[in-house]
Amino acid sequence: MPTTVARAESAAYAGPSRTPSARRGPLAGIRVADFCWMGVGACATRLLADFGAEVIRIEDRNRLDMPRRLPIYKGEARTYGEEDANPDPNKGGLFNNYNRNKLGVTINMRSPKGRALADRLIASSSVVTENFAPGVMERWGLTYERLSALSPEIIYARMSGFGHTGPHAEHRSYGPIVQAVCGLSYISGLPGEEPSGWGLSYMDNEAAFFNASALLTAIYHRNLTGEGAEIDVSAVEAGINLLGPILLDASVNGRTTRDGDFPTGNRLEHPDAAPHGVYPCAGEDRWIAIAVFNDTEWRGLVSVMGDPAWASEARFASQAARFANQDGLDALVGAWTRDKDRYQIMHALQAAGVAAGAVQTAEDTNDHDPQIAGRGLFFELDHPVIGEARFEGTPIQFSRTVQENWRSAPLLGEDNAHVFKNLLGVDDDEYEALAAEGAI
Amino acid sequence: MAAVRHPLAGLKVVEAAHDIGGEFTGLLLAQMGAEVTKLEPAEGSPTRRVGPFAKGRTDGDASLNFWFYNSNKKSVVADLGAPGGLQALLALLADADIFVCTLQPAALTALGLDLTALSETHPKLIVLSVTPFGLTGPWADYKSSDIVALAAGGPLNSCGYDDHAIPPIRPGGNQAYHTAASFAQIGVMLALLERQKTGLGQLLDVSMHEACAVNVELANPYWFYPRVHVHRQTCRHAQPSPTQSALFRCADDRYVYFALILSEPKAWEALVRWMESKGMAAQLSEPAFSDVAYRQQNFHEVQELVECFFLVQDSHDAYHDGQAAGLPIGVLNAPEDLFDDEHLKAREFFAEVEHEGLGKVVYPGPIYRFSSFGEVPRTAAPKLGEHTAEALPTRPAARTPEEAAS
Repeated sequence: MPTTVARAESAAYAGPSRTPSARRGPLAGIRVADFCWMGVGACATRLLADFGAEVIRIEDRNRLDMPRRLPIYKGEARTYGEEDANPDPNKGGLFNNYNRNKLGVTINMRSPKGRALADRLIASSSVVTENFAPGVMERWGLTYERLSALSPEIIYARMSGFGHTGPHAEHRSYGPIVQAVCGLSYISGLPGEEPSGWGLSYMDNEAAFFNASALLTAIYHRNLTGEGAEIDVSAVEAGINLLGPILLDASVNGRTTRDGDFPTGNRLEHPDAAPHGVYPCAGEDRWIAIAVFNDTEWRGLVSVMGDPAWASEARFASQAARFANQDGLDALVGAWTRDKDRYQIMHALQAAGVAAGAVQTAEDTNDHDPQIAGRGLFFELDHPVIGEARFEGTPIQFSRTVQENWRSAPLLGEDNAHVFKNLLGVDDDEYEALAAEGAI
Repeated sequence: MAAVRHPLAGLKVVEAAHDIGGEFTGLLLAQMGAEVTKLEPAEGSPTRRVGPFAKGRTDGDASLNFWFYNSNKKSVVADLGAPGGLQALLALLADADIFVCTLQPAALTALGLDLTALSETHPKLIVLSVTPFGLTGPWADYKSSDIVALAAGGPLNSCGYDDHAIPPIRPGGNQAYHTAASFAQIGVMLALLERQKTGLGQLLDVSMHEACAVNVELANPYWFYPRVHVHRQTCRHAQPSPTQSALFRCADDRYVYFALILSEPKAWEALVRWMESKGMAAQLSEPAFSDVAYRQQNFHEVQELVECFFLVQDSHDAYHDGQAAGLPIGVLNAPEDLFDDEHLKAREFFAEVEHEGLGKVVYPGPIYRFSSFGEVPRTAAPKLGEHTAEALPTRPAARTPEEAAS
């Protein structure tokens, strides 16, 4: 089993200094001019920053990144929508969450001097990333051709909802829109009811993960061939890939899904699992998921339930019979779970060889889950304004690769002096002038 | 035009995966050009027995579930549990770059397969373990499934209906497995980059449970910072406190998603202009409604008028007209709707794959598009054991499915 756990080392590198220094990891030496903002882009480039890339977030002081503005503050429970009229850009927890291990600079792209400075930053970088609405980078003249002229072999990653070509390229989009259009929302819910869809921007995260993979693939390819690339990822197209075999059922069998019996809630159409559902437990809004796929698992469930008489009725005698009689079965299983502790039955069922899992909240996974705690998924880093904060780690344990968590998210413009003076060679006078003119 | 180059061309992947997490990982690598050899027991991968099936068939070569996740792979019958199975695996691993394995610790022990030792004896090999809970820890041998992983990892807690008497509802597809595969792919690419620098492989331990636990979006930061819980709502973000419905039913009984944000003047004006163009703005055109506070005070009136507005339009008209008005609005497409989408057609998104006896079958196209290289055109998933003789030529003939069945 892996003995070198990259995460365990993390704390040692989160020293008191916030001064950038040489990075470690497979992406060390790669500089990224990162125009990303919001969730998708920042989450994608976070993966690069975690593993050694020098990711330089380029921000606009006059148009603050939404995660800097959303009032997700430590020690302040606010109602959603109750926005902070004059937010402290360095206090937002969501920004901290998405931008650890990155550098932060400010550039005013509406200013010619700002754009000239961005050109210099791009010329010293080998990767450029962005997730603006299509057309924004073009307005600044930042096409792939132009970037390639500034930095040969550049990799230009463009992340959008609909991709950069086609009649809907300029559609407004964010996670729930992508989920609706690609079909993921529609395939989720109880039959005959309105779709329940997603309670999160799943496709922001999944698009971010695929964008990160695409970037890593392009870097790998460039290392082999010396060739750069422009990358176009449409979150809608990524989402359609995540429909999986449901899409093939439509294309191969001509399956139509608007007849009232689809989707099937927590029940599966394939295979004939039963019981397969989420059942109530003791406590307020406490639930357990139970999934039984065969006779052996069924016998395990029955024995944990104490061999109730109903379990030997003919209607539950085979997997096919149980699958056909789920209404009755679910009611009986739910009656059994209803007054029981969700973890107690999860562990009892698992001991009997049955797949079962308590429905856990973020508090549960963060603070009470022994499986996660023992593997050190979450970690802490200090932040000058927010203080100590928790972060989502990477769900991969590497025996060799190191995830170096060196710093929490940058304050707004925190690394202007380091990046512009030390990395780009802007002299003191010019730096002061850029600041005075509002170009940075 | 020069032939498209595939970035992972020349890399050999051996896949011992009996669930979708491992299989989707193998597919993502195959699509970038790796040669993926899938090991199957004599009776075939369990994923071949999962429907839906093509055209009413039920045999192991007709599972659409198997087709989807195993395109572009080779199938070799080598039952790891049978005598000679491990030797067959080691023979294939001798010149492999990546080994994808979904076996949990107890199953590995039972087989006598030690991934740490394998990694040590094969220093260039990237050993990628993708399991329900990871290779270590008190739950390492717990069973899982898509719904169990979404439950224990946390995403399920955010999904369902406003009515909390209804349990959380699993989002469709196999999204816990897909999440695990996404991280597995990232892990492999990082390990390949590491190997380009050092020449050395390593052991990667990906946990589906942990992958889900970091794929809950706002639920984590809401717990990290204000330490509040989010509560599920119908087809919109789970939030610490309730927000208004964002799902609107249309004249054709289909839905659009539209989050009405009263506080943004531009979006408000665009909405009112759009409603006016259909003669349905009613009192929303009145000057009083240009004041945010007034809009918020009279929110239910606004919501009702917007509901009526959508009820008289077809969903696709509402989607296109709303987007043309500059509003973020999305139609809830069903899978079968996607083939006719003008945008996807213009981007030539869907791929056609030749299937013996069926002709061309439509599959989803690329997840990512690169200007200077690309993915391998999709090919049909292999029949069981289709490549056994080619991959294991010196081995005493592996049992054919017919022999195994007899």
